[in-house]
Amino acid sequence: MQRNKWRVISRTGTVVVTLGLMSGSVAFGADQPGSEHGSSIPPSRVIAGRPLHSPPKLDAADAYKSVNAFITWAGESVVEEQNDARRVLASAAKKPELVQAFTEAILEAHKSGDTSRALVGLGLLGEMRTYDGAKFLAEFVRMPLPTKGTVIEGELQEEAQQARLQAKAIAGVAYLRDPEFDREVAYQAGNHPSVIVRAEAISAYLWNRGDSLEARKALEPFVRKEERLFLDRVRRVSGEGAESFNRKLTAYLKAHPEVQAPNPVRKDPRPPEEKPNTFDVTPPKF
Amino acid sequence: MNLKQGIALMSSVLAFGLATEAGAVCTQTAASQADRDLWNTHGCWQDFFLWQYQAYGLRSGDWSNRGWNDACNVNLEFPKHWNASYLLTYGMLDNWDQSFHGTEDYRATAEARSSNFHDSLYHSITDRTDVFGTFTPRFWPWDTDRVETACPLYNPTVSNSNPGSRAGDYMHEGWHANFDKYSFDNGNTGGHRPGPQGACTVNGCDYFYFHGISKYVFGAMWENNGTASRFHSPNQVQVEFLCDVADQSQWWIPLSVRQTAAADANGRAASRFINGPGYTCGSPRPW
Repeated sequence: MQRNKWRVISRTGTVVVTLGLMSGSVAFGADQPGSEHGSSIPPSRVIAGRPLHSPPKLDAADAYKSVNAFITWAGESVVEEQNDARRVLASAAKKPELVQAFTEAILEAHKSGDTSRALVGLGLLGEMRTYDGAKFLAEFVRMPLPTKGTVIEGELQEEAQQARLQAKAIAGVAYLRDPEFDREVAYQAGNHPSVIVRAEAISAYLWNRGDSLEARKALEPFVRKEERLFLDRVRRVSGEGAESFNRKLTAYLKAHPEVQAPNPVRKDPRPPEEKPNTFDVTPPKF
Repeated sequence: MNLKQGIALMSSVLAFGLATEAGAVCTQTAASQADRDLWNTHGCWQDFFLWQYQAYGLRSGDWSNRGWNDACNVNLEFPKHWNASYLLTYGMLDNWDQSFHGTEDYRATAEARSSNFHDSLYHSITDRTDVFGTFTPRFWPWDTDRVETACPLYNPTVSNSNPGSRAGDYMHEGWHANFDKYSFDNGNTGGHRPGPQGACTVNGCDYFYFHGISKYVFGAMWENNGTASRFHSPNQVQVEFLCDVADQSQWWIPLSVRQTAAADANGRAASRFINGPGYTCGSPRPW
Protein backbone atom coordinates (compact mmCIF):
# COMPACT_ATOMS: atom_id res chain seq x y z
CA MET A 1 0.00 0.00 0.00
CA GLN A 2 2.74 2.33 1.10
CA ARG A 3 4.85 1.31 -1.93
CA ASN A 4 1.92 1.77 -4.33
CA LYS A 5 1.23 5.19 -2.88
CA TRP A 6 4.79 6.35 -3.54
CA ARG A 7 4.67 4.88 -7.03
CA VAL A 8 1.62 7.04 -7.78
CA ILE A 9 3.33 10.10 -6.31
CA SER A 10 6.48 9.36 -8.34
CA ARG A 11 4.55 9.06 -11.58
CA THR A 12 2.60 12.21 -10.79
CA GLY A 13 5.88 13.90 -10.04
CA THR A 14 7.32 12.81 -13.39
CA VAL A 15 4.30 14.24 -15.18
CA VAL A 16 4.56 17.50 -13.23
CA VAL A 17 8.29 17.77 -13.98
CA THR A 18 7.58 17.19 -17.67
CA LEU A 19 4.85 19.84 -17.61
CA GLY A 20 7.15 22.15 -15.70
CA LEU A 21 9.89 21.73 -18.31
CA MET A 22 7.35 22.37 -21.06
CA SER A 23 6.18 25.54 -19.39
CA GLY A 24 9.84 26.47 -18.94
CA SER A 25 10.40 26.21 -22.66
CA VAL A 26 7.40 28.49 -23.17
CA ALA A 27 8.82 30.90 -20.63
CA PHE A 28 12.00 31.14 -22.64
CA GLY A 29 10.35 32.74 -25.60
CA ALA A 30 9.10 29.87 -27.72
CA ASP A 31 5.93 31.69 -28.68
CA GLN A 32 5.08 35.24 -29.55
CA PRO A 33 2.45 37.66 -28.30
CA GLY A 34 -0.68 38.25 -30.31
CA SER A 35 -4.03 39.92 -30.66
CA GLU A 36 -7.00 39.73 -32.97
CA HIS A 37 -7.05 43.51 -33.19
CA GLY A 38 -3.48 44.35 -34.17
CA SER A 39 -3.05 47.06 -36.79
CA SER A 40 -0.65 46.86 -39.70
CA ILE A 41 -0.87 50.60 -40.39
CA PRO A 42 2.33 52.43 -39.38
CA PRO A 43 1.87 55.23 -36.82
CA SER A 44 2.97 57.91 -39.27
CA ARG A 45 -0.27 57.27 -41.17
CA VAL A 46 -2.39 57.02 -38.02
CA ILE A 47 -1.03 60.36 -36.84
CA ALA A 48 -1.57 61.96 -40.23
CA GLY A 49 -5.24 60.98 -39.95
CA ARG A 50 -5.83 63.02 -36.80
CA PRO A 51 -7.05 66.51 -37.72
CA LEU A 52 -5.00 69.26 -36.10
CA HIS A 53 -6.26 72.61 -34.84
CA SER A 54 -9.80 71.42 -34.16
CA PRO A 55 -10.46 71.92 -30.46
CA PRO A 56 -13.98 71.18 -29.29
CA LYS A 57 -16.10 74.15 -28.27
CA LEU A 58 -16.57 75.05 -24.64
CA ASP A 59 -20.29 75.52 -24.21
CA ALA A 60 -21.51 77.16 -21.00
CA ALA A 61 -24.98 75.69 -21.52
CA ASP A 62 -23.53 72.21 -21.33
CA ALA A 63 -20.50 73.06 -19.22
CA TYR A 64 -19.74 69.73 -17.58
CA LYS A 65 -19.90 67.70 -20.78
CA SER A 66 -18.03 70.15 -22.95
CA VAL A 67 -15.27 70.70 -20.38
CA ASN A 68 -14.70 66.95 -20.10
CA ALA A 69 -14.54 66.65 -23.87
CA PHE A 70 -12.09 69.55 -23.96
CA ILE A 71 -9.80 67.95 -21.36
CA THR A 72 -9.82 64.72 -23.37
CA TRP A 73 -8.90 66.63 -26.53
CA ALA A 74 -6.24 68.71 -24.78
CA GLY A 75 -4.51 65.61 -23.37
CA GLU A 76 -4.25 64.18 -26.84
CA SER A 77 -3.27 67.49 -28.47
CA VAL A 78 0.29 68.33 -29.47
CA VAL A 79 2.58 71.30 -28.94
CA GLU A 80 1.57 73.08 -32.13
CA GLU A 81 -2.04 73.04 -30.89
CA GLN A 82 -1.22 74.76 -27.60
CA ASN A 83 -2.22 78.15 -28.96
CA ASP A 84 -5.55 76.73 -30.15
CA ALA A 85 -6.29 75.64 -26.60
CA ARG A 86 -5.13 78.96 -25.19
CA ARG A 87 -7.49 80.90 -27.46
CA VAL A 88 -10.48 78.77 -26.46
CA LEU A 89 -9.56 79.08 -22.78
CA ALA A 90 -9.16 82.87 -22.96
CA SER A 91 -12.68 83.11 -24.32
CA ALA A 92 -14.08 80.60 -21.81
CA ALA A 93 -12.56 82.50 -18.89
CA LYS A 94 -15.44 84.97 -19.09
CA LYS A 95 -17.96 82.25 -18.26
CA PRO A 96 -18.08 81.18 -14.59
CA GLU A 97 -20.01 77.99 -15.40
CA LEU A 98 -17.05 76.75 -17.39
CA VAL A 99 -14.53 77.63 -14.67
CA GLN A 100 -16.73 75.76 -12.23
CA ALA A 101 -16.94 72.76 -14.56
CA PHE A 102 -13.13 72.64 -14.81
CA THR A 103 -12.84 72.53 -11.02
CA GLU A 104 -15.32 69.65 -10.88
CA ALA A 105 -13.52 67.73 -13.63
CA ILE A 106 -10.18 68.18 -11.83
CA LEU A 107 -11.54 66.87 -8.56
CA GLU A 108 -13.15 63.96 -10.35
CA ALA A 109 -9.89 63.02 -12.11
CA HIS A 110 -7.99 63.39 -8.84
CA LYS A 111 -10.52 61.18 -7.06
CA SER A 112 -10.32 58.53 -9.78
CA GLY A 113 -6.52 58.48 -9.42
CA ASP A 114 -5.78 59.43 -13.04
CA THR A 115 -2.95 61.87 -12.38
CA SER A 116 -2.33 62.51 -16.07
CA ARG A 117 -5.91 63.72 -16.61
CA ALA A 118 -5.89 65.78 -13.42
CA LEU A 119 -2.61 67.40 -14.51
CA VAL A 120 -4.12 68.34 -17.86
CA GLY A 121 -7.20 69.81 -16.14
CA LEU A 122 -5.09 71.79 -13.67
CA GLY A 123 -2.93 73.15 -16.48
CA LEU A 124 -5.95 74.29 -18.46
CA LEU A 125 -7.57 75.97 -15.48
CA GLY A 126 -4.33 77.78 -14.62
CA GLU A 127 -4.05 78.95 -18.20
CA MET A 128 -7.52 80.56 -17.95
CA ARG A 129 -6.18 83.13 -15.48
CA THR A 130 -9.40 83.79 -13.59
CA TYR A 131 -9.84 84.88 -10.01
CA ASP A 132 -12.20 82.00 -9.23
CA GLY A 133 -9.92 79.52 -10.93
CA ALA A 134 -6.86 80.73 -9.02
CA LYS A 135 -8.86 80.65 -5.78
CA PHE A 136 -9.72 77.00 -6.43
CA LEU A 137 -6.10 76.22 -7.29
CA ALA A 138 -4.85 77.90 -4.10
CA GLU A 139 -7.34 75.84 -2.08
CA PHE A 140 -6.25 72.73 -3.92
CA VAL A 141 -2.64 73.44 -2.93
CA ARG A 142 -3.73 73.77 0.70
CA MET A 143 -5.46 70.39 0.77
CA PRO A 144 -3.81 68.28 3.49
CA LEU A 145 -1.50 65.60 2.14
CA PRO A 146 -2.49 61.97 2.74
CA THR A 147 -0.73 60.30 5.63
CA LYS A 148 -1.53 56.65 4.89
CA GLY A 149 -0.98 54.41 1.92
CA THR A 150 1.77 52.69 -0.02
CA VAL A 151 5.38 53.50 0.74
CA ILE A 152 7.99 53.09 -2.00
CA GLU A 153 11.60 53.90 -1.13
CA GLY A 154 10.46 55.85 1.90
CA GLU A 155 8.04 57.95 -0.13
CA LEU A 156 4.31 57.71 0.55
CA GLN A 157 2.88 57.37 -2.94
CA GLU A 158 -0.48 58.96 -2.20
CA GLU A 159 1.36 61.98 -0.79
CA ALA A 160 3.74 62.22 -3.77
CA GLN A 161 0.84 61.84 -6.17
CA GLN A 162 -1.08 64.71 -4.61
CA ALA A 163 2.07 66.82 -4.32
CA ARG A 164 2.70 66.51 -8.07
CA LEU A 165 -0.80 67.82 -8.69
CA GLN A 166 -0.38 70.58 -6.14
CA ALA A 167 2.85 71.58 -7.87
CA LYS A 168 0.91 71.99 -11.10
CA ALA A 169 -1.76 73.94 -9.23
CA ILE A 170 0.72 76.37 -7.67
CA ALA A 171 2.11 77.09 -11.15
CA GLY A 172 -1.41 78.11 -12.13
CA VAL A 173 -1.73 80.38 -9.10
CA ALA A 174 1.58 82.06 -9.97
CA TYR A 175 0.53 82.53 -13.58
CA LEU A 176 -2.28 84.88 -12.56
CA ARG A 177 0.45 87.37 -11.58
CA ASP A 178 -1.75 89.01 -9.01
CA PRO A 179 -0.32 90.45 -5.75
CA GLU A 180 -2.83 88.61 -3.55
CA PHE A 181 -2.04 85.27 -5.16
CA ASP A 182 1.68 86.01 -5.36
CA ARG A 183 1.70 86.18 -1.59
CA GLU A 184 0.18 82.71 -1.53
CA VAL A 185 2.86 81.40 -3.90
CA ALA A 186 5.62 82.93 -1.77
CA TYR A 187 4.05 81.46 1.36
CA GLN A 188 3.87 77.98 -0.16
CA ALA A 189 7.49 78.31 -1.38
CA GLY A 190 8.55 78.05 2.23
CA ASN A 191 5.68 76.41 4.04
CA HIS A 192 4.15 73.66 1.96
CA PRO A 193 4.89 70.29 3.60
CA SER A 194 6.13 68.77 0.33
CA VAL A 195 9.47 69.75 -1.20
CA ILE A 196 7.95 68.96 -4.62
CA VAL A 197 5.46 71.82 -4.20
CA ARG A 198 7.93 74.19 -2.55
CA ALA A 199 10.34 73.67 -5.44
CA GLU A 200 7.68 74.38 -8.06
CA ALA A 201 6.42 77.42 -6.16
CA ILE A 202 9.94 78.87 -6.24
CA SER A 203 10.44 78.10 -9.92
CA ALA A 204 7.01 79.45 -10.96
CA TYR A 205 7.34 82.61 -8.85
CA LEU A 206 10.68 83.45 -10.45
CA TRP A 207 9.70 82.50 -14.00
CA ASN A 208 6.60 84.69 -13.90
CA ARG A 209 8.87 87.63 -13.07
CA GLY A 210 11.37 86.95 -15.80
CA ASP A 211 13.81 85.29 -13.38
CA SER A 212 14.86 88.77 -12.31
CA LEU A 213 17.19 89.58 -9.46
CA GLU A 214 14.39 91.62 -7.82
CA ALA A 215 12.09 88.60 -7.83
CA ARG A 216 14.80 86.48 -6.28
CA LYS A 217 15.36 89.06 -3.54
CA ALA A 218 11.63 89.31 -2.88
CA LEU A 219 11.21 85.56 -2.57
CA GLU A 220 14.36 84.72 -0.64
CA PRO A 221 13.01 85.56 2.85
CA PHE A 222 10.17 83.07 2.37
CA VAL A 223 12.37 80.18 1.31
CA ARG A 224 13.73 77.78 3.91
CA LYS A 225 17.37 78.44 4.66
CA GLU A 226 18.40 74.92 3.68
CA GLU A 227 16.55 75.27 0.38
CA ARG A 228 17.98 78.58 -0.86
CA LEU A 229 19.77 76.54 -3.49
CA PHE A 230 16.42 76.16 -5.23
CA LEU A 231 16.46 79.89 -5.99
CA ASP A 232 19.42 79.36 -8.32
CA ARG A 233 18.40 76.01 -9.73
CA VAL A 234 18.93 75.49 -13.46
CA ARG A 235 15.78 75.26 -15.57
CA ARG A 236 15.80 73.61 -19.00
CA VAL A 237 12.90 74.66 -21.20
CA SER A 238 11.84 73.59 -24.65
CA GLY A 239 13.73 75.41 -27.38
CA GLU A 240 16.67 76.39 -25.20
CA GLY A 241 20.01 75.72 -26.86
CA ALA A 242 23.15 74.18 -25.38
CA GLU A 243 25.03 77.47 -25.15
CA SER A 244 22.39 79.16 -23.01
CA PHE A 245 21.77 76.14 -20.81
CA ASN A 246 25.45 75.40 -20.30
CA ARG A 247 26.15 79.01 -19.37
CA LYS A 248 23.49 78.85 -16.66
CA LEU A 249 24.80 75.51 -15.42
CA THR A 250 28.39 76.76 -15.23
CA ALA A 251 27.27 79.79 -13.22
CA TYR A 252 25.23 77.57 -10.87
CA LEU A 253 28.12 75.18 -10.24
CA LYS A 254 30.49 78.10 -9.65
CA ALA A 255 28.13 79.73 -7.17
CA HIS A 256 27.47 76.41 -5.40
CA PRO A 257 30.63 74.30 -5.27
CA GLU A 258 28.95 72.27 -2.52
CA VAL A 259 26.77 70.49 -5.11
CA GLN A 260 29.82 68.75 -6.57
CA ALA A 261 29.22 65.01 -6.12
CA PRO A 262 31.96 62.78 -4.70
CA ASN A 263 33.66 60.30 -6.99
CA PRO A 264 31.80 57.01 -7.46
CA VAL A 265 32.80 53.95 -5.46
CA ARG A 266 34.12 50.78 -7.07
CA LYS A 267 33.17 47.21 -6.20
CA ASP A 268 34.61 43.84 -7.18
CA PRO A 269 34.04 43.03 -10.83
CA ARG A 270 31.85 40.07 -11.64
CA PRO A 271 32.72 37.32 -14.12
CA PRO A 272 31.88 38.17 -17.72
CA GLU A 273 28.60 36.86 -19.08
CA GLU A 274 28.83 33.67 -21.07
CA LYS A 275 25.91 34.03 -23.46
CA PRO A 276 25.43 37.66 -24.49
CA ASN A 277 22.12 38.58 -26.11
CA THR A 278 22.93 39.81 -29.61
CA PHE A 279 19.43 40.68 -30.84
CA ASP A 280 20.06 43.65 -33.07
CA VAL A 281 17.10 43.92 -35.40
CA THR A 282 16.09 47.43 -36.45
CA PRO A 283 12.63 48.35 -35.13
CA PRO A 284 9.87 48.55 -37.75
CA LYS A 285 9.69 51.66 -39.90
CA PHE A 286 7.58 54.38 -38.32
CA MET B 1 11.87 8.92 0.70
CA ASN B 2 14.07 8.16 -2.32
CA LEU B 3 15.35 10.56 -4.99
CA LYS B 4 12.34 10.04 -7.23
CA GLN B 5 10.01 10.80 -4.38
CA GLY B 6 11.95 13.90 -3.55
CA ILE B 7 11.71 15.11 -7.12
CA ALA B 8 7.99 14.42 -7.09
CA LEU B 9 7.41 16.48 -3.96
CA MET B 10 9.71 19.29 -5.06
CA SER B 11 8.07 19.59 -8.44
CA SER B 12 4.60 19.62 -6.89
CA VAL B 13 5.64 22.48 -4.63
CA LEU B 14 7.23 24.26 -7.61
CA ALA B 15 4.13 23.79 -9.73
CA PHE B 16 1.96 25.18 -6.94
CA GLY B 17 4.24 28.18 -6.61
CA LEU B 18 4.17 28.87 -10.33
CA ALA B 19 0.40 28.55 -10.43
CA THR B 20 0.04 31.01 -7.56
CA GLU B 21 2.35 33.51 -9.30
CA ALA B 22 0.60 33.20 -12.64
CA GLY B 23 -2.77 33.85 -11.00
CA ALA B 24 -1.86 37.24 -9.51
CA VAL B 25 -1.92 40.31 -11.72
CA CYS B 26 -1.89 44.09 -11.38
CA THR B 27 -5.08 46.13 -11.68
CA GLN B 28 -6.33 45.59 -15.21
CA THR B 29 -9.46 47.71 -15.30
CA ALA B 30 -8.22 50.88 -16.98
CA ALA B 31 -5.33 52.89 -18.39
CA SER B 32 -4.38 56.47 -17.61
CA GLN B 33 -5.25 59.23 -20.06
CA ALA B 34 -1.56 59.55 -20.96
CA ASP B 35 -1.40 55.83 -21.84
CA ARG B 36 -4.55 56.07 -23.95
CA ASP B 37 -3.43 59.25 -25.71
CA LEU B 38 -0.12 57.72 -26.74
CA TRP B 39 -1.86 54.50 -27.70
CA ASN B 40 -4.10 56.43 -30.09
CA THR B 41 -1.05 57.51 -32.09
CA HIS B 42 -0.44 53.91 -33.19
CA GLY B 43 -3.77 52.16 -32.64
CA CYS B 44 -2.03 48.92 -31.58
CA TRP B 45 0.78 48.51 -34.06
CA GLN B 46 1.38 44.82 -34.45
CA ASP B 47 4.77 45.01 -36.18
CA PHE B 48 6.08 46.91 -33.20
CA PHE B 49 4.96 44.63 -30.41
CA LEU B 50 6.26 41.63 -32.38
CA TRP B 51 9.65 43.35 -32.45
CA GLN B 52 9.46 44.73 -28.90
CA TYR B 53 9.03 41.43 -27.08
CA GLN B 54 12.26 40.19 -28.62
CA ALA B 55 14.17 43.43 -28.12
CA TYR B 56 13.26 43.42 -24.43
CA GLY B 57 13.77 39.67 -23.99
CA LEU B 58 10.24 39.12 -22.74
CA ARG B 59 9.33 35.54 -21.80
CA SER B 60 5.77 34.53 -22.44
CA GLY B 61 5.43 32.69 -19.13
CA ASP B 62 6.04 35.95 -17.24
CA TRP B 63 3.32 37.80 -19.14
CA SER B 64 0.55 35.23 -19.41
CA ASN B 65 -2.72 36.69 -18.02
CA ARG B 66 -1.18 40.10 -18.59
CA GLY B 67 -2.04 40.67 -22.22
CA TRP B 68 0.46 38.39 -23.94
CA ASN B 69 -2.39 37.00 -26.02
CA ASP B 70 -4.43 40.20 -25.85
CA ALA B 71 -1.72 42.62 -26.88
CA CYS B 72 -4.13 45.34 -28.04
CA ASN B 73 -5.92 45.70 -24.72
CA VAL B 74 -4.30 48.82 -23.25
CA ASN B 75 -5.69 48.03 -19.79
CA LEU B 76 -3.28 45.10 -19.45
CA GLU B 77 0.36 45.02 -18.43
CA PHE B 78 2.07 43.79 -21.61
CA PRO B 79 0.36 46.39 -23.81
CA LYS B 80 1.32 49.09 -21.31
CA HIS B 81 4.87 47.77 -21.29
CA TRP B 82 5.24 47.96 -25.07
CA ASN B 83 3.42 51.31 -25.20
CA ALA B 84 6.23 52.76 -23.06
CA SER B 85 8.85 51.12 -25.31
CA TYR B 86 7.16 52.72 -28.32
CA LEU B 87 7.57 56.13 -26.68
CA LEU B 88 11.29 55.79 -26.18
CA THR B 89 11.91 54.05 -29.52
CA TYR B 90 10.24 56.65 -31.74
CA GLY B 91 9.29 59.59 -29.56
CA MET B 92 12.56 61.37 -28.90
CA LEU B 93 13.61 64.42 -30.90
CA ASP B 94 17.38 63.79 -30.79
CA ASN B 95 18.18 67.47 -31.02
CA TRP B 96 21.93 67.68 -30.54
CA ASP B 97 21.73 71.30 -29.39
CA GLN B 98 18.94 70.74 -26.88
CA SER B 99 18.47 67.11 -25.81
CA PHE B 100 20.37 65.62 -22.88
CA HIS B 101 20.77 62.31 -24.70
CA GLY B 102 19.46 60.53 -27.78
CA THR B 103 17.27 57.59 -28.74
CA GLU B 104 20.37 55.44 -29.14
CA ASP B 105 21.18 55.96 -25.45
CA TYR B 106 17.69 55.40 -24.15
CA ARG B 107 17.08 52.34 -26.30
CA ALA B 108 20.36 50.68 -25.37
CA THR B 109 19.67 51.30 -21.68
CA ALA B 110 16.20 49.77 -21.85
CA GLU B 111 16.65 46.91 -24.30
CA ALA B 112 17.91 43.40 -23.58
CA ARG B 113 20.90 43.34 -25.89
CA SER B 114 24.39 43.18 -24.41
CA SER B 115 26.22 46.41 -25.24
CA ASN B 116 28.49 49.08 -23.82
CA PHE B 117 25.52 50.10 -21.68
CA HIS B 118 25.02 46.83 -19.83
CA ASP B 119 25.27 43.06 -20.09
CA SER B 120 22.28 41.13 -21.44
CA LEU B 121 19.08 41.50 -19.48
CA TYR B 122 15.44 40.61 -19.83
CA HIS B 123 12.28 42.39 -18.73
CA SER B 124 9.86 40.63 -16.44
CA ILE B 125 7.02 41.78 -14.19
CA THR B 126 6.17 41.46 -10.52
CA ASP B 127 3.01 42.00 -8.48
CA ARG B 128 4.90 43.84 -5.78
CA THR B 129 3.43 47.19 -4.80
CA ASP B 130 6.33 48.41 -2.65
CA VAL B 131 8.65 49.13 -5.59
CA PHE B 132 8.41 50.63 -9.08
CA GLY B 133 10.92 48.17 -10.43
CA THR B 134 13.87 46.02 -9.49
CA PHE B 135 17.13 44.93 -11.02
CA THR B 136 18.41 41.46 -10.15
CA PRO B 137 21.92 40.61 -11.34
CA ARG B 138 22.59 37.13 -12.65
CA PHE B 139 23.85 34.64 -10.12
CA TRP B 140 25.70 32.39 -12.58
CA PRO B 141 27.81 33.59 -15.53
CA TRP B 142 25.50 31.68 -17.91
CA ASP B 143 22.40 33.33 -16.45
CA THR B 144 20.85 36.69 -17.47
CA ASP B 145 20.26 39.93 -15.51
CA ARG B 146 16.59 40.64 -14.84
CA VAL B 147 14.65 43.90 -14.84
CA GLU B 148 11.24 43.64 -13.22
CA THR B 149 8.64 46.36 -13.40
CA ALA B 150 5.95 46.39 -10.73
CA CYS B 151 2.26 47.19 -10.34
CA PRO B 152 2.71 50.90 -9.45
CA LEU B 153 3.75 51.35 -13.10
CA TYR B 154 0.63 49.57 -14.34
CA ASN B 155 -2.17 50.22 -11.83
CA PRO B 156 -4.22 53.05 -13.32
CA THR B 157 -4.69 54.89 -10.02
CA VAL B 158 -0.97 55.35 -9.39
CA SER B 159 0.64 58.49 -10.79
CA ASN B 160 3.56 56.60 -12.35
CA SER B 161 1.20 54.50 -14.45
CA ASN B 162 1.93 56.44 -17.61
CA PRO B 163 4.24 55.78 -20.57
CA GLY B 164 6.91 58.32 -19.60
CA SER B 165 7.28 57.16 -16.02
CA ARG B 166 7.24 53.50 -17.06
CA ALA B 167 9.94 54.04 -19.68
CA GLY B 168 11.76 56.18 -17.11
CA ASP B 169 11.91 53.13 -14.89
CA TYR B 170 13.45 51.12 -17.73
CA MET B 171 16.21 53.76 -17.65
CA HIS B 172 16.57 53.54 -13.90
CA GLU B 173 16.80 49.74 -13.72
CA GLY B 174 18.94 49.62 -16.86
CA TRP B 175 21.39 51.92 -15.12
CA HIS B 176 21.72 49.53 -12.20
CA ALA B 177 22.76 47.03 -14.86
CA ASN B 178 25.28 49.57 -16.15
CA PHE B 179 26.77 49.81 -12.63
CA ASP B 180 27.12 46.04 -12.48
CA LYS B 181 28.87 45.99 -15.85
CA TYR B 182 31.37 48.65 -14.80
CA SER B 183 31.62 47.54 -11.15
CA PHE B 184 30.27 50.60 -9.33
CA ASP B 185 28.76 50.36 -5.87
CA ASN B 186 25.94 52.88 -5.53
CA GLY B 187 24.96 51.86 -2.00
CA ASN B 188 23.15 49.09 -0.19
CA THR B 189 19.65 50.57 0.01
CA GLY B 190 18.20 48.89 -3.05
CA GLY B 191 21.27 49.96 -5.01
CA HIS B 192 21.13 53.51 -3.64
CA ARG B 193 22.43 55.48 -0.69
CA PRO B 194 20.32 55.43 2.47
CA GLY B 195 18.20 58.48 3.20
CA PRO B 196 16.95 60.95 3.98
CA GLN B 197 20.29 62.73 3.73
CA GLY B 198 21.34 66.06 2.30
CA ALA B 199 18.59 67.31 0.00
CA CYS B 200 17.23 63.80 -0.54
CA THR B 201 13.94 63.20 1.28
CA VAL B 202 13.38 59.50 0.47
CA ASN B 203 15.37 56.45 1.55
CA GLY B 204 16.94 55.54 -1.78
CA CYS B 205 19.18 58.49 -2.67
CA ASP B 206 21.63 59.23 -5.49
CA TYR B 207 24.04 61.98 -6.39
CA PHE B 208 23.42 64.16 -9.41
CA TYR B 209 26.46 64.40 -11.66
CA PHE B 210 25.71 67.63 -13.49
CA HIS B 211 26.67 67.90 -17.12
CA GLY B 212 25.86 70.35 -19.87
CA ILE B 213 23.97 69.73 -23.09
CA SER B 214 25.99 68.35 -26.05
CA LYS B 215 28.57 66.96 -23.63
CA TYR B 216 27.81 63.34 -24.50
CA VAL B 217 27.68 62.30 -28.14
CA PHE B 218 24.43 60.44 -28.79
CA GLY B 219 25.15 56.80 -28.04
CA ALA B 220 27.84 57.66 -25.48
CA MET B 221 25.76 58.03 -22.31
CA TRP B 222 27.36 54.80 -21.04
CA GLU B 223 30.79 56.45 -20.87
CA ASN B 224 32.38 57.16 -17.52
CA ASN B 225 35.88 58.03 -16.45
CA GLY B 226 35.54 56.61 -12.97
CA THR B 227 35.18 60.07 -11.44
CA ALA B 228 32.31 62.44 -10.75
CA SER B 229 33.27 64.52 -13.79
CA ARG B 230 31.82 62.01 -16.25
CA PHE B 231 29.24 59.83 -14.63
CA HIS B 232 25.48 59.27 -14.21
CA SER B 233 23.37 57.82 -11.40
CA PRO B 234 20.15 55.80 -11.97
CA ASN B 235 17.82 58.59 -10.82
CA GLN B 236 19.75 61.10 -12.92
CA VAL B 237 19.41 59.06 -16.11
CA GLN B 238 15.71 58.77 -15.31
CA VAL B 239 15.31 62.54 -14.78
CA GLU B 240 17.22 63.38 -17.96
CA PHE B 241 15.09 60.97 -19.96
CA LEU B 242 11.85 62.36 -18.48
CA CYS B 243 13.03 65.91 -19.19
CA ASP B 244 13.72 64.95 -22.79
CA VAL B 245 10.22 63.48 -23.07
CA ALA B 246 8.76 66.68 -21.61
CA ASP B 247 10.76 69.18 -23.68
CA GLN B 248 12.51 67.35 -26.48
CA SER B 249 10.11 64.79 -27.85
CA GLN B 250 8.67 64.42 -31.34
CA TRP B 251 5.96 66.89 -32.40
CA TRP B 252 3.26 64.21 -32.27
CA ILE B 253 3.79 63.22 -28.64
CA PRO B 254 0.55 64.08 -26.79
CA LEU B 255 0.71 66.83 -24.20
CA SER B 256 -0.64 64.54 -21.48
CA VAL B 257 2.46 62.36 -21.96
CA ARG B 258 4.77 65.38 -21.84
CA GLN B 259 3.10 66.87 -18.78
CA THR B 260 3.17 63.67 -16.74
CA ALA B 261 6.82 63.21 -17.68
CA ALA B 262 7.62 66.75 -16.52
CA ALA B 263 5.76 66.21 -13.23
CA ASP B 264 7.66 62.98 -12.57
CA ALA B 265 11.01 64.54 -13.54
CA ASN B 266 10.51 67.59 -11.34
CA GLY B 267 9.21 65.60 -8.38
CA ARG B 268 12.12 63.19 -8.63
CA ALA B 269 14.70 65.95 -9.15
CA ALA B 270 13.52 67.77 -6.02
CA SER B 271 13.46 64.77 -3.71
CA ARG B 272 15.98 62.11 -4.71
CA PHE B 273 19.39 63.76 -4.83
CA ILE B 274 21.74 64.23 -1.93
CA ASN B 275 23.66 67.13 -3.47
CA GLY B 276 20.68 69.37 -4.12
CA PRO B 277 18.01 69.32 -6.78
CA GLY B 278 18.66 68.25 -10.33
CA TYR B 279 17.59 70.41 -13.22
CA THR B 280 13.99 71.51 -13.39
CA CYS B 281 12.38 70.95 -16.75
CA GLY B 282 9.38 72.24 -18.62
CA SER B 283 8.06 75.77 -18.62
CA PRO B 284 6.11 76.83 -15.51
CA ARG B 285 3.44 78.20 -17.84
CA PRO B 286 0.39 76.07 -17.01
CA TRP B 287 -0.51 75.25 -20.64
